Amino acid sequence: MLVQQLANGVFLGAVYALFAIGYTLIFGVLDILNLAHAAIFMLAAFVALSLAGLGVPLVLAFALALVVAGFLGVLLDRVAFAPLRRRNAGTLVPLISSIGAAIIMQGVARGIWGPDEQRFPANALSTAEIHIGSLTVGALDVVILAIALVLMGVLSYVLRSTALGRSIRAVAADRVAAALLGVDIERTIALTFFIASALGGAAGILIGLQYNSVSLDMGARIELKGLAIIILGGMGSVTGAVIGAFLLGAVETLSVAYISSSYRDAIAFGVMFLILVLRPTGLFGKRALRAA
Amino acid sequence: MRVKSVFCAALFLAFGSSVALGAGPMTGKTVKVGVIADVTGSAGAYGNSQKNAYELAGDDLKAGLIDAAGASLTFDVQDAASDPNQVVNLVQKFTTDGSALMIGPTLSSEAKKADPIAVAKNLTILATSNTAQGITTMGSCVFRDSLSEEQVVPQMLVKMEKAWKVKTAAIIYGDDDQFTKTDFDIFSASLKADNIDVVDIKTFHKGDVDFKAQLTAIGEKKPDLLVIGALIEEGVKIATQAKQLGFKGHFAGGNGLNSPKFIDLAGPAGDGVIVGAAYYLGDTRGGNKAFVERYSKKFGKAPDQFAAQAYAAAQVVAAAIKGGATNSGQFCSFFGNMKPLMTVLGPVSFMSSRDVRADSAILEVSKGAFVPFK
Repeated sequence: MLVQQLANGVFLGAVYALFAIGYTLIFGVLDILNLAHAAIFMLAAFVALSLAGLGVPLVLAFALALVVAGFLGVLLDRVAFAPLRRRNAGTLVPLISSIGAAIIMQGVARGIWGPDEQRFPANALSTAEIHIGSLTVGALDVVILAIALVLMGVLSYVLRSTALGRSIRAVAADRVAAALLGVDIERTIALTFFIASALGGAAGILIGLQYNSVSLDMGARIELKGLAIIILGGMGSVTGAVIGAFLLGAVETLSVAYISSSYRDAIAFGVMFLILVLRPTGLFGKRALRAA
Repeated sequence: MRVKSVFCAALFLAFGSSVALGAGPMTGKTVKVGVIADVTGSAGAYGNSQKNAYELAGDDLKAGLIDAAGASLTFDVQDAASDPNQVVNLVQKFTTDGSALMIGPTLSSEAKKADPIAVAKNLTILATSNTAQGITTMGSCVFRDSLSEEQVVPQMLVKMEKAWKVKTAAIIYGDDDQFTKTDFDIFSASLKADNIDVVDIKTFHKGDVDFKAQLTAIGEKKPDLLVIGALIEEGVKIATQAKQLGFKGHFAGGNGLNSPKFIDLAGPAGDGVIVGAAYYLGDTRGGNKAFVERYSKKFGKAPDQFAAQAYAAAQVVAAAIKGGATNSGQFCSFFGNMKPLMTVLGPVSFMSSRDVRADSAILEVSKGAFVPFK
């Protein structure tokens, strides 16, 4: 049973991780908490669902919805953050601005797709199961985990080994110095938003597929967990977010299995609290504020 | 004010079907029944079914399909608009306008406000959709024809036990919702009464989508039966994920899963889930076949449980008039001594607690439809 529960935790953690790395990436680069990230997560899932409903193959629907999510992120930055950035509005004002943007996106989604939970078309999803000894996993879960790991790998490669990654890291470290060195700040920020939002969108679509459920409140459900994960991992640390996400998935699953399902969230957040008491910068945070 | 009175008059013309049928021992007698239903507002889906049922009952009295022994029987359906204040106003109206009986209101919470007012004025009440505890105890003339979940669940477990020799069970329920918590209370008490060993109890919260941790832990204990105390959205995911994890036992659902929407959303994963209900559409007793056909023709959709319980109330009232009741006191004593009467719900009578004695419909989801569980 422990193996099965750990597998359950890994699948849960993978989607948490995808959500959280986009969240932490924007924090790392801009020092702002983008609370509209969860709304893009939800919108991407609805876009993929609608495309699948129109008969677009699922793989293509997934890819198209990622692009839509990416552009939504860029638009979000242009409308909600860039004007404030030009006026040096600090960190609290963009936070409120992102809440406003999230509420608008929620309203638009409610107008287009209605308030009810929706599902992917029948037969669009595989229900095959894989049995390894006493372990049962859905083939779909494995595919989702693989996609999540690939996307995280690609992000890690981009950040470490490409010119764009170097620009992103430079802007994160010191925006003024990066500008002096010739980095196009606005372009880098726009690309960061594109990548982060596409990853958030991917998480939304994958979680929608995993549980065959897309709803207006799906973002709100994961938002607080995502925030806890990036604080636990160390604000702005992508590696920290990934590890924090798998840790949360495991703690949640194991607390349900071995302690009490009623106290699942209390236990998960209690563990986080303990870790933060021992390490206030989070698992991989180098300082209390940012580190890319 | 004028607009309001015109509206009321229109409502009366539309729904208050006054009927005086040919010869009968009660010819010349007039009985007005006040009905409070939430035709609009948040409970509108339920109240609308009720309004439709009384409208059809009016037609059927005219057509002779319901026999009130020649009396002129009127159902004065008033819309409470899901507003508790409006409910109170309407009860006050019915206690002073010569109504011989009050039917309704739609919700249990409304009944808790309304019924004491009617009881104080000695107006007999017949509730058709109040399933909460403590409704009939509000007065010695407060009756209800709706089976409560406490009545349905034990009958359901007896049938399942017989069919499958159920020895062990596990329960998964939402612990942050009164409705699903009630499911848990009722099921755990009934399982205990039936000596079925509850091997595991797991909870979840509203809006959860991942139940694999709970279901893996439950699956490990291999219970014969998994009881799901959930609303539709969560219930669908629980059934789906349990099957995905290879759970081999049987499923029993609480009241929350008793809806065609559960079948729509769950698809094949819903197959085999057993739910208890107060009404089965395919029942052929008590004129139900004609009721379903006529209702479907008139309103373009099949009647639900709320419509059936309301129509059964009309059948009970007509039987009472046939038995000589024309005023509140006579209705009260007729209901109290009523022999089982065949209605669209099957045979109906009232226990000494004034709760209904009726068959529950134990249904199984099979190939995308609810069918009687045998």
